[in-house]
Amino acid sequence: MNSFSSSHADPIVAQNLVRYFGDVKAVDGINITVKTGEIFGFLGPNGAGKSTAVRMLTTLLRPTSGTATVAGFDVAKHPDEVRRRIGVALQDAAIDPLMTGTELLRLQAVLYGIPQAQMKNRASELLERVGLTAAADRRVGTYSGGMRRRLDLALALIHQPTVLFLDEPTTGLDPMSRMSLWEEVRRLNNEGTTVMLTTQYLEEADQLADRIAIIDAGKIVREGKPQDLKAGVGFPTLLITVPSDQTERAKAVLATFGDMRPTAEGSLGVGLRGGANVVTDVVRKLDEASVRVQHLEINEPSLDDVFAEATGHRLEGAKA
Amino acid sequence: MTVASPALAIETTVRSRQLSMRQTIAMAKRSTYEIARQPALIAPSMFFPIFFAVLSASSFSRTTSIPGFPKVESFMQFTLASTIVQGVLFGSVTGAAALATDIEIGFFDRLLLAPTTRTGILLGRLAGSAIFGLFQSAFFLAVLVPFDAPITAGIPGALVMVLSGGIVSLAIGAIMSSVAIRTGSAEAVQGAFPLLFVLLFFSSAFFPRETMSGAYKRIADINPISYLVEGLRALVLEGFTFSAVIRSLLVPTLICLAAILFALKELRRKLAAL
Amino acid sequence: MSTNVTTTQVMTAPVADLVARPTTMRSARGLAHRGIQNIRRLPSAFFPAMAMPVFTMIAFAGTFAAITRLPGFPTDRSVNWFMPLGICFGAAFSGIGLGFSTIRDIETRFYDRLLMSPAPRRSLIIGPLLTAWVRVAILCAFVIPMGMLLGVRFTSGLLGLFTLVVAAVGVSTISLGWGLGLAFRFRDMRGAAVMQLTMFVVLYLSSAQMPLPLMRGWLHNVARINPTTNILRLAREGLVLKTSPDYMSWSNTWGGLLAIAGMATLTLVFARRGLDKLDK
Repeated sequence: MNSFSSSHADPIVAQNLVRYFGDVKAVDGINITVKTGEIFGFLGPNGAGKSTAVRMLTTLLRPTSGTATVAGFDVAKHPDEVRRRIGVALQDAAIDPLMTGTELLRLQAVLYGIPQAQMKNRASELLERVGLTAAADRRVGTYSGGMRRRLDLALALIHQPTVLFLDEPTTGLDPMSRMSLWEEVRRLNNEGTTVMLTTQYLEEADQLADRIAIIDAGKIVREGKPQDLKAGVGFPTLLITVPSDQTERAKAVLATFGDMRPTAEGSLGVGLRGGANVVTDVVRKLDEASVRVQHLEINEPSLDDVFAEATGHRLEGAKA
Repeated sequence: MTVASPALAIETTVRSRQLSMRQTIAMAKRSTYEIARQPALIAPSMFFPIFFAVLSASSFSRTTSIPGFPKVESFMQFTLASTIVQGVLFGSVTGAAALATDIEIGFFDRLLLAPTTRTGILLGRLAGSAIFGLFQSAFFLAVLVPFDAPITAGIPGALVMVLSGGIVSLAIGAIMSSVAIRTGSAEAVQGAFPLLFVLLFFSSAFFPRETMSGAYKRIADINPISYLVEGLRALVLEGFTFSAVIRSLLVPTLICLAAILFALKELRRKLAAL
Repeated sequence: MSTNVTTTQVMTAPVADLVARPTTMRSARGLAHRGIQNIRRLPSAFFPAMAMPVFTMIAFAGTFAAITRLPGFPTDRSVNWFMPLGICFGAAFSGIGLGFSTIRDIETRFYDRLLMSPAPRRSLIIGPLLTAWVRVAILCAFVIPMGMLLGVRFTSGLLGLFTLVVAAVGVSTISLGWGLGLAFRFRDMRGAAVMQLTMFVVLYLSSAQMPLPLMRGWLHNVARINPTTNILRLAREGLVLKTSPDYMSWSNTWGGLLAIAGMATLTLVFARRGLDKLDK
């Protein structure tokens, strides 16, 4: 399958999508094509334009310019047709705390035109699926963060959408809840749902996405399969920590082994041209230059390296 | 170990009094600026009373001929006193909301732990409302008197009215502080406000007691707000009399003192429980 | 993945077409159901809309009892005069209250969920409208019996009760349109302050407190052209003396109905335009 060509059947196609807020260009001419049955990861730091792009694709915001089709329909011209075919789980799981899980699902079913006769079954089936049967008749205000997200997912699935948008589905969740949500997303994808996932977590994109796009300052800076993108970065990163008065000397040594890479504050990184084989040489040279190494690690290229290489800075909160 | 000499003890007392005074003034400044810096918050309490005064002056202009209605030049003249009380009531919502916020963010607790007198804290916190009350009263008189609503007691009468407005504001602030200290909840303070409006409505603020009858009149007869408004009204309609001045100043002062004493008691109770 | 692709296209593409399109009335009823449940679950938000009319009725009728002694006053019972005012205030706040909750929904982003659903856009207005009407029904069922205990007498029997309820429903419709329109434009609590302020002013600059012929000066001129005066006349026509020119008649009715139709149309169009601009 050719990832870079688009056809009418592609569930998500955005061309030159632009959105201004006043004078601020939040999304700056992005092009995306998501293929049927894919999990597409949209990766970027807070404020990069991910949510704005998703809000345009889900008909909540009108693009300033450019076009987008979702499930085969233009988002600006036929928003209702788009809405009937997409499911969306929102960034902060906006759920009315006064309602119960069942009530919310039923309201959602009504709003999506699910016939009365199927409504009850569909609601209990979904509650079962996301493991909320026991809490179904409790007010949502009493749910934990993880339960809310799972309910949110169930709400997004009420009409068996062909395309599912998950906007930061695991932000703020504990590791256990995150894993169980990932499981569910994989299961849905295996059943044939196309998923567009926005996230600021590298691991999430790496684990789930078939393809990813990295967005920074409103622009897509890299796009492709995670393994291809990582391979594109090339050499592994050698990270060292040295006393602060020896930083300059250490840099001079490292620079002879490869290109310096952006790192978190307090450490130095270099793309090691010779790979793991030359680590002993690096240590010897550092020693000769009277640099005392406090910590050393070698990392295979990660999405964060891809991100750093593309943008010149690391993803906020990501492991360096 | 040294034993404090009597001279040193006196000096310490004087110093702590000065400190306490300085803190009270600082608090007073803070609470005044806080109100002055929020024009959007105080605008309704300047606009609504004027709106209602102008509205009722036009609505009820013919009612001044009803038997039992005091002799007035216009309904506006009659309603001048109630506009002050009502406006100050509206206005002190702002002060009380600020106090409630203080309680919620724990600022009040921090003050209570500071080495200053409790009365100082309380009065300092309420000073902003009181100053705003004075300002509001003066503003209402300045705007409304030219509309056929002369004050018979003249400038001294107007001054007493303005002063009374300030004391009323202080009194309401003190009542709200008691609620705030007792409950520690901003919601309870906000929730207590409608009760004050009920008290205002079930008085002779908007219409003379002489025209009322039945249960309503009996409630207005025992409602202290009736006497306060009637005192102010007497300054407008009758002139600068001893009885009018006493009613205008004494009623709010008594309420104010009682409320402050009660608030201090609550404060002591709260501190003892800490 | 490529096997999945084929399955997906075969399986899921037709699903949306198999699903019935959501109808306006069913979606609106669903939204109204939520609104009505919230009355029970968040009574503190509904309480002012109930307490205010009762307070207005009792306080105004007591304070201004003497105005019925004015020559030409259309009723001899002050509660007869002020109960419809209280109900119209309550109805206005029922509509505006839903404006408040819409602002809350926008702020918490729950509204995004509604906007992303394929429910017809008009159901997002009709749903709250049905809720407002239910609120008015509860309001009338509570305030009218209470008024009757305090001495209210319908001089034209059930017809008077009917015109009062029609006026209340009309006021709630107008205020709902206004409340939603402002909620969609402001999208935060500043909108709530504007809603309250404007409703207060529009209601008061009418025959709210005094019959038109007994007013003087500028207020008379404003109240005469304020359509709210016509609505209040409709609300009161079954409660004034049979001898009063304001008593139940077609000539005292059509003006109110026309005012409701006109103002409701304007505010509902205002709301719809605001809703359509939410994605701007």
